[in-house]
Amino acid sequence: MQKIIEKITKKKELGVFLMIIILSALITMVNSSFLTLDNIFDFLRSNATIGIMAFGMLPVLISGGIDLSCSSVISLCAVVAGYMMAGNSGMNPVLVVCLIMLLGGFMGLINGVIITKLKIPPIVTTLGTQTIILAGVLLYTNGMWISGLPQWFIDFGKFQLGSIESAGKLTGLSTQAILMFAAAFVTWLMLKYTLVGRGIYAIGGNRRSAMRIGYNVDRIEIFIYVYAGLMTGLAAIANISIVGQVDPNTYLNYEMDVISVVVLGGASVMGGVGNVFGTVLGVILMAVIKNGLVLARVPTYWQKVVMGLIILITISADVINRKREQAKLVRVDVEE
Amino acid sequence: MKILKDIRSKYPNEFVLFGIFVFLFVVMSILSPDKFLSITNLQTMLFQMPEFGLMALAMMIAVLTGGMNLSIITGSTLATIIAGFFMRTEFVQNNPALGTLLAVLMTIFIACMTGVLNGAIVAYIGVAPMLVTLGTKTLFEGLGLQFTKGSSVSGFPELFNKIGSGTLFGIPYTLIILIIFTVLSYFLFERSKWGMEVYMIGCNETATRFSGVNTKATLLKVYIYSGLMYGIAGILIASRYCSAKTDYGSSYLMQALTAVVLGGTSIAGGSGTVAGTILAVMIIQTVSTGFNIYGINRNIVNIITGVILIVVLAIRYLTQVVIDRKKIRERVSQSRKTA
Amino acid sequence: MKQPFLEIENISKTFPGVKALDSVKFDIYPGEVHALVGENGAGKSTLIKILAGVQPPDAGGIIKINGKTTNLKNAMDSIKQGISVIYQDFSLFTNLTVAENIGINEVLEKKQKVLKWKQIYKKAENALKFIGADFDPHEIVENLSVARQQMVAIASAVAQDAKMIIMDEPTSALSKGEVEHLYEIIDTLKAKDVAIMFVSHKMDELFRVADRFTVFRDGQYVNTVDKNKITESELVSMMVGRKIQIKQYANLERKGNVVLRVENLSKKGNYKDISFEVREGEVVGITGLVGAGRSEVMQSIFGILKADSGKVYINEKQVFIRSPEDALLNGIAYIPESRQTQGLVLEKTIASNITLPVLSRFCNKFGIIDRKRQRENVDQWVEMLDVRPNDPDMLALQLSGGNQQKVVLAKWISTQAKILIVDEPTNGVDIGAKDEIHKILRKLASEGTAVIVISSELPEILSVSDRILVMRRGRISGEFENDNVTQEMIMNKAIV
Repeated sequence: MQKIIEKITKKKELGVFLMIIILSALITMVNSSFLTLDNIFDFLRSNATIGIMAFGMLPVLISGGIDLSCSSVISLCAVVAGYMMAGNSGMNPVLVVCLIMLLGGFMGLINGVIITKLKIPPIVTTLGTQTIILAGVLLYTNGMWISGLPQWFIDFGKFQLGSIESAGKLTGLSTQAILMFAAAFVTWLMLKYTLVGRGIYAIGGNRRSAMRIGYNVDRIEIFIYVYAGLMTGLAAIANISIVGQVDPNTYLNYEMDVISVVVLGGASVMGGVGNVFGTVLGVILMAVIKNGLVLARVPTYWQKVVMGLIILITISADVINRKREQAKLVRVDVEE
Repeated sequence: MKILKDIRSKYPNEFVLFGIFVFLFVVMSILSPDKFLSITNLQTMLFQMPEFGLMALAMMIAVLTGGMNLSIITGSTLATIIAGFFMRTEFVQNNPALGTLLAVLMTIFIACMTGVLNGAIVAYIGVAPMLVTLGTKTLFEGLGLQFTKGSSVSGFPELFNKIGSGTLFGIPYTLIILIIFTVLSYFLFERSKWGMEVYMIGCNETATRFSGVNTKATLLKVYIYSGLMYGIAGILIASRYCSAKTDYGSSYLMQALTAVVLGGTSIAGGSGTVAGTILAVMIIQTVSTGFNIYGINRNIVNIITGVILIVVLAIRYLTQVVIDRKKIRERVSQSRKTA
Repeated sequence: MKQPFLEIENISKTFPGVKALDSVKFDIYPGEVHALVGENGAGKSTLIKILAGVQPPDAGGIIKINGKTTNLKNAMDSIKQGISVIYQDFSLFTNLTVAENIGINEVLEKKQKVLKWKQIYKKAENALKFIGADFDPHEIVENLSVARQQMVAIASAVAQDAKMIIMDEPTSALSKGEVEHLYEIIDTLKAKDVAIMFVSHKMDELFRVADRFTVFRDGQYVNTVDKNKITESELVSMMVGRKIQIKQYANLERKGNVVLRVENLSKKGNYKDISFEVREGEVVGITGLVGAGRSEVMQSIFGILKADSGKVYINEKQVFIRSPEDALLNGIAYIPESRQTQGLVLEKTIASNITLPVLSRFCNKFGIIDRKRQRENVDQWVEMLDVRPNDPDMLALQLSGGNQQKVVLAKWISTQAKILIVDEPTNGVDIGAKDEIHKILRKLASEGTAVIVISSELPEILSVSDRILVMRRGRISGEFENDNVTQEMIMNKAIV
């Protein structure tokens, strides 16, 4: 028993977990509707987009890279999905999802190839593709909304698994939540049980050793960015299925939210560390904070300030912790 | 002719950049002499280039240390928004001259303080600059939005708006400001003690620190200087628009980074010249103004800037690969001859 | 007669400017510990890299494994042939578990796309049990002590069913008890017919573990001998080559004042109760095993590592040095061991490197540097220390090791430091330049500088210092006037 407790307290995720509990308790005290099943399901639905993208960003950060282009890629995917489906009632839903994910994956492939083969740092590469892709989307759409998505897609977005009565309404697990859980599960399997997944950790931990023992580092890195793209494509589907329309401008600065969620969830921006469970907690914590700010009637613009502060504090705390551990390192076995 | 050759051998990169600029300028002029070469167009260019040039210098100093500053735009708009509110007070309306001066100083001060925040986290906590400035970018934007509730601040004194539109003997004030700060930046980056230390840090921070340089203070100053540059750029922008808003100048972020890279500054830090950056700014400005005349969409300009950024870095890497291969081949054949 | 597991012949490796290996040979039998011995720059690490498949040898050499000629084109080739390397830095993934570090090699080798964690844990447990390690395979490597990390590296080699394990300076970071344990593991491996190539230059352990020695010197093969047929001093002279007449510079007359005094300096996990003093014009040598805490003490005096307690006095006035900048202001110079990453900014010119700490001297009142004065100053130093080529605009990375070291020396001498600390000053420096550097250090001392030389090379310590301090496991364990001191006397103090 003691061992289990010790193991739990050693976990990096504990802090995030406690923070979620405390914040939830506080918010429930202010507003009792917070912890109702209805609100929770709604909560899952509205945070699915960031959640799915976060599972794509997680491997990128573990490998020590970064993907700033995801906010533009999701815009591109949403727009293409919109044009594909608008006024087109007879499409196969599975086909739509697959095509859009492939589009996202292709964008990731471009990032990955530029990063590995042309040796341009990830932050510069993805900053460049972010600008190019978004400008392309805005050029084509003129920033106009796309509406008239077919009824089947609207229904797809409104689907609920199970129906439980809560707060006087019938509620259930939404499509978007299901997609998010699927993304989490697949990412967990990939990171934990595949050689590629372990290679991602190896690259983030010690790049040179990863090459020494025979990982194909370039190929794994390309895979990472393709995977991020696939997830972004899925997130695009989840997002437009909630709104029922496509607004190409709405995704500006999404990359910041996604990165903060993953870092909040214990992934280190220096690479090597992070897991799906932590990211799930990160998504929940961020959602609780946002929801809490709304319930506490904090004006919307302050939310951005809070977000910026959260990012700065979490990243700084990460670095300070690492430095402290380094300072404690025993270099010499001193004779006492 | 000989002078030309000397310049070419001493500053090959700047020489090529200048060539590109002249070429583009001539092409644009030939394609549309009545529009491109019109006085109004040339003036528009000269009015716009300075703010872009100052943003590029703000980015450049951070890139020289091996970092980056993604908060240059929101840092500058935050400063001008706060100063903007100040300029609407009765005091300033009654004392436009003193008020404008105070507003300018205030903008510069706030921008430098945003630089202090960036620099302190980068230098004293040791967080990667890109992540710090990614965070402060959101933070400054959030503060700006909160103050303005998402709209713009206007109603500045006429004198302030003159900064961005006035001329001295036909030369825009803005251009004079750019020239002054380009010269200042040249001396500070390339001729001063601080500048030398910045370049050394960009190459090898540890060795520089181990040489007795206070690298933390040097880095802090880097982000303050960056703040000074984007603060002044912010003044020019606010003055040109006669208002302040969080998303003014947002396309300059990408363009500034592109100009710095195109100008020959190494993205890994440690090398680059002020002249190169300014020449690159002139090139990009010529392209985007040219496109503007033809009514080509802004987004295309953005796409082209992004492509230039990646292509320039790619070409630089690939030429390095070719040069390295050639060297290795020479060495192998040399050792064969001796053996 | 058994067949050797590995035989190499006529292996050379040329780098731009250097011939790191010049047609060397080596062989090793199953169940044998064959030590590869040599000084810095003898070519040991180059051979390791060739055998690990990390670097290809020049054309024309022969590598035979079990009698068959093979090519080791990449790391995977070597692993498949049963060769595995325990690098000096262990090359582990510190962010991952012990089990994964041990078990992942097999998965990679077999290219299994999907992991079976149960198998990996079982494999890891077996490997750990085999070498007698009793820690949890679920532990993250980062949390293990250095000795345990090394055991993970060994277990990882064992788990790959290695037929031959290369151990590169394996004891450099281990305490006495841990070294004993390593010997036991080596004995177990021998009993299982694993061939072990043991790379080291420490006499006591070589004679303890090795069956045969092969000596390299300056990239060339010298000889191979059985342990029983050679004495320690014969091995040493084989390593060093013809008896080099080591110049003795010691000057036992001391009149100067105490410049640096250190009192009870301690830092947990680094060193403890360090007290010593250095006088004007004196050269103090500090020696001991790698990992005895020598550099750590000096780095604390220079303001890089913060000491927990203790006092430092300069000219009998207590000083508080918190950064290299403070050290510079107090007249302390430190030339770090790692010239390439800490001593020099390689991508910049000789001139910028030399003047980096003293830039303010050439500044006018606006902080702008007077380039002419800067250049004159640099020219003077380049000439004085005879840096070659004597072009101040040359990039530091284009210089040889010895000339790079001269640039670092010039940089610090130009600060007119009263106290000069040099850490392994002749590491990677050829023999000619070595003596030049020693001469420079002695000259500085004769001009009144207090010089501290850290070195693992006893001949160097004996040649250059007036007084010798020996460190062992974070403490000062002995002090000698350099007057009829022998290498043995020092080694006795350095080893427990």
